[in-house]
Amino acid sequence: MHKYEILVLEVLKRLHTASLERLCADSGLGKDEAMWALQNLSDAGMVELRHQEREKITISDEGVEYAKHGLPEEQLLKELNEKQIKVSSLGEKERIGLQWSKKLGLVDIQNGELRMTDKGKAAANRGFDSARALKEIYEGKGGTAHKSILEELSRRKLIEVERRREVSEVAITQKGKAAEMKASESIDQVDRGVIANESWKSMGFKSYDVNVKVERRVPALKHPLKRLIDRIKDAYVSMGYQEVSGPAVESSFWVFDSLFVPQDHPARDAQDTFYISNLDRAELSKIPHVRTVRKAHVKGWHAKWKEDVARQMLLRTHTTSVSSRYVYNIVNGLKTDPDKYTLPIKLFSVGRVFRNETVDYRHLADFYQHDGVIIGKDLTLSNLFDELTKIYAFLGIKIKFKPSYFPFVEPGVEYFAYHEERKEWIEVGGAGMFREEITGVKRSKISVLAWGPGIDRTLLIKDSSISNISELYNNGIGWLRSRREV
Amino acid sequence: MPVISINKKYLYGLIGQRMDDEKLADYIYKLGFEVESQDEKEAIIEITANRLDLLDAVGLARTIKNFMHKSKRFHYEIEDKEPAITIDVDRSVGRIRPYISGLVALNLELTEESLLNLINFSEKFCETYGRNRRKIAMGFHDMGAIKGGLTYKASEDLEFVPLGKQEKMKFSSVLEKEEKGRQYGSIIKNEKRCFYPSLSDSEGPIALIPILNSQRTKVSASTKSMFIDITGLSEYAVNKAAELLAASFMDMGAEVRKVRIRRNDKAVLAPEMEKRYINIPISRAEREIGVDIGYNNIISLANKMGYEAGMVGNKIAFRIPEYRLDIIDAQDVIEDIAIGYGYDYINAMPIAYSQPGNLENRTRFNRKLTDIMIGLGFFECTNSYLTNEENNFDKAGLKRESHAIMLKNSNTETITMMRTWLMPSLLNNLRLSSHESMPQNVFELDMAFSVAEGKPVESYRLAAVSVSPKSNFNEMKAMVEGMLYAAGVDCDISEFNHPAFIDGRCAKLAFEGKEVGFFGELHPRTLKNFGIEEAAVAIEMQLDPIYPRKS
Repeated sequence: MHKYEILVLEVLKRLHTASLERLCADSGLGKDEAMWALQNLSDAGMVELRHQEREKITISDEGVEYAKHGLPEEQLLKELNEKQIKVSSLGEKERIGLQWSKKLGLVDIQNGELRMTDKGKAAANRGFDSARALKEIYEGKGGTAHKSILEELSRRKLIEVERRREVSEVAITQKGKAAEMKASESIDQVDRGVIANESWKSMGFKSYDVNVKVERRVPALKHPLKRLIDRIKDAYVSMGYQEVSGPAVESSFWVFDSLFVPQDHPARDAQDTFYISNLDRAELSKIPHVRTVRKAHVKGWHAKWKEDVARQMLLRTHTTSVSSRYVYNIVNGLKTDPDKYTLPIKLFSVGRVFRNETVDYRHLADFYQHDGVIIGKDLTLSNLFDELTKIYAFLGIKIKFKPSYFPFVEPGVEYFAYHEERKEWIEVGGAGMFREEITGVKRSKISVLAWGPGIDRTLLIKDSSISNISELYNNGIGWLRSRREV
Repeated sequence: MPVISINKKYLYGLIGQRMDDEKLADYIYKLGFEVESQDEKEAIIEITANRLDLLDAVGLARTIKNFMHKSKRFHYEIEDKEPAITIDVDRSVGRIRPYISGLVALNLELTEESLLNLINFSEKFCETYGRNRRKIAMGFHDMGAIKGGLTYKASEDLEFVPLGKQEKMKFSSVLEKEEKGRQYGSIIKNEKRCFYPSLSDSEGPIALIPILNSQRTKVSASTKSMFIDITGLSEYAVNKAAELLAASFMDMGAEVRKVRIRRNDKAVLAPEMEKRYINIPISRAEREIGVDIGYNNIISLANKMGYEAGMVGNKIAFRIPEYRLDIIDAQDVIEDIAIGYGYDYINAMPIAYSQPGNLENRTRFNRKLTDIMIGLGFFECTNSYLTNEENNFDKAGLKRESHAIMLKNSNTETITMMRTWLMPSLLNNLRLSSHESMPQNVFELDMAFSVAEGKPVESYRLAAVSVSPKSNFNEMKAMVEGMLYAAGVDCDISEFNHPAFIDGRCAKLAFEGKEVGFFGELHPRTLKNFGIEEAAVAIEMQLDPIYPRKS
């Protein structure tokens, strides 16, 4: 008999029945050790294990949000009760509400406007059972709700219901009481003596149950976003790109003006972009490029171009500002010293970008982007398709292209990645050929291919265990430990 | 990007043929836009911000018809007739809203559908390109109700019956009481006194610009002739908008007439309907797209995208359609050729290239340090760069300092600044996780920000925290020394005080004589502030000083 088995039996002879916790406490064994011994004793008919089903309900971040403010369809109906709503005026969050409302048959759409159905009116009056249940769970009053409601909440990933069969109590049997408790003669732990004296030759080894339940060890891991960033950087390097970087706190000039974004473009509004209150304005007077940029804006946008607007400091909204700085430096360098560079030049950068979002559990104000740029002669749209296809192939992602518009590229491209599990195409980024207004040089002399996709979106495609982007920035220790390397 | 809602029955009527949902979505996609959703009656479509001519069913139908090779109408001209009306522009509008253009549409045959489409177009156009009516606004009037010529001036507080009302109202009370007045009033408000840009005929105001029209000139589905005013801050923009509208009215079967705009005794006719050509050699288009097209094909592609085209010398002359406000030069036309050709048919072509790629030195060092931290059993975290004074300073016992980069206009209360160090982010990650097993080890290697002499400073830092009932100074010191040894960095360790740490249980790290970081046992006060219920140790260090100078 193993010494752990002896320790367990000693306790049980005294107590007859005991909870697992008590057994561990009295025997001094860990949970894994006690379970291993109990399993052996149970197999030998010396103890009886009594099991119990336990249900544990945990509420997700999204669930917490809805418990506080109501389900999205509930919020939408409330709003709809007060005023008319057009589909085109809905924000992203309200669209979630619309999806659910349509699914549940609470509203339909007529002439672009939302109408409450009879079912919706009834629900608005009576309230939502699922919302009440969610609130109870959030307030710790537990899962008294009907099973079907818990299942619905669980399907919507607002709660997680875990059922576990656990040993609740152990009792000793007659056979156990009668058992002779003698430590076995076989070898338990291999030690120096066993090795030196070769005592194993006469004693043999105590065998382990390979099916025994153990508590999994948790290896420390790299953060999934940083892991993907490594892979993206590797993809670029494998195709001959040089890594570059540039400031995150940047002037309007490099983020917008140098990229031919008109000075009255809505993306530059304080509503969308973070401006800085305590920095000096950028010094542009020594940059000859300012003249090129001014000329391009005046000609292209038929409006005055104000240097003061370009001097404002802000948090970059895309890493294309880094590409813009490098393209300018290289094009300028080629003018003065054409032998210094061998074309084409391939560059990439990875960094954070910022949007002045109202931050909640789903929306973030900063996230990662990567930017690639090729500066060369006679580069084509077909070259751009080739480079992007190969970079994403390295990441195991299939992409396709569609026309699109960004002020700084022409032709403009938007590309989509194929989500194997969801069987649908998901938008990942924009690309194109830089306009001559950006380089200040005719395309017959220099052409530039550029692209700037988000990284977080790509991660959702690569790792189906991640359901929403903000989850990536919570870093709860439980979540970190539950991760798998992808 | 603008999202528009299109009545499909009206759209198919204009195209002259019905199509199934997939076919419609496919055309829209190939043109560079997306159908967000559609049912039997309507389609919700996202249009890119450059294509102002596609904000309604008329423009969309025109473009799809061209794309299907079903149309031969490539340009829009207005016959030389006596202008239908004259607008006198008073110099008083010069400061607030200087430019006006307009047009007159006769022989209209409107329906409820086409009128609604027109109004939706105008709202969308003024919201997007018009920057919520500030840059451009337009108004539709029943031409039959206008008496005599028009005057555009910044007037005093006049009276008129605004659209949808029975009673006269003063301009000032329209701004105060009417929904549109409150919404757009700030465009014409002036701190000292209020000017009221208005358009009047011989019987008084027909519009308070750019807020509300008069009830007298209200349009309906039975309106047979219309005057449209377009006002704004850019002469180019108002003139181009008038040309775009003229094309739309012609597509609706109306006869469009010009208006005379008289300013300082100088008169011009609008819409001008300027004839524009852009000449491009075929070889240039082929070289930039990367496909062989050929002469016959390029003319057909031009027509498909709405251009009339023909050979001039060794170039193709593209006539720019009057409604295309977005075409700046040849680059834009070449994109249209590529769209006409179809992005799906452009084969990927490799670039000849044989240079080795490389990472920045900093990236290599960061990767090395990350591997070491993971080897030491620390989980990597990624946190936002944005924070607030409470988290960044107060909770750690630091004074609120002025060297942080402060945000001017955050939409979120809890975001006011950029973090100056990483440790608070990690401590927030570990908040309320005492139910998870110990030790809890986390680290982050990323950026923090500050201000030096008015300029931003961006630096890489490493921070790590270990929470456990058994954590103490020596444990952290052992970890720090192990990490520095493996990374090949020589640092001196000496006594240090930091408000977040316990005095006498804190040390600083110096590299080549310069302080680069600190570590130690966190003060219970700090732990409580961050909601951590067990003892914890931490390190924070700058990486820029220790990055290798050469690879």
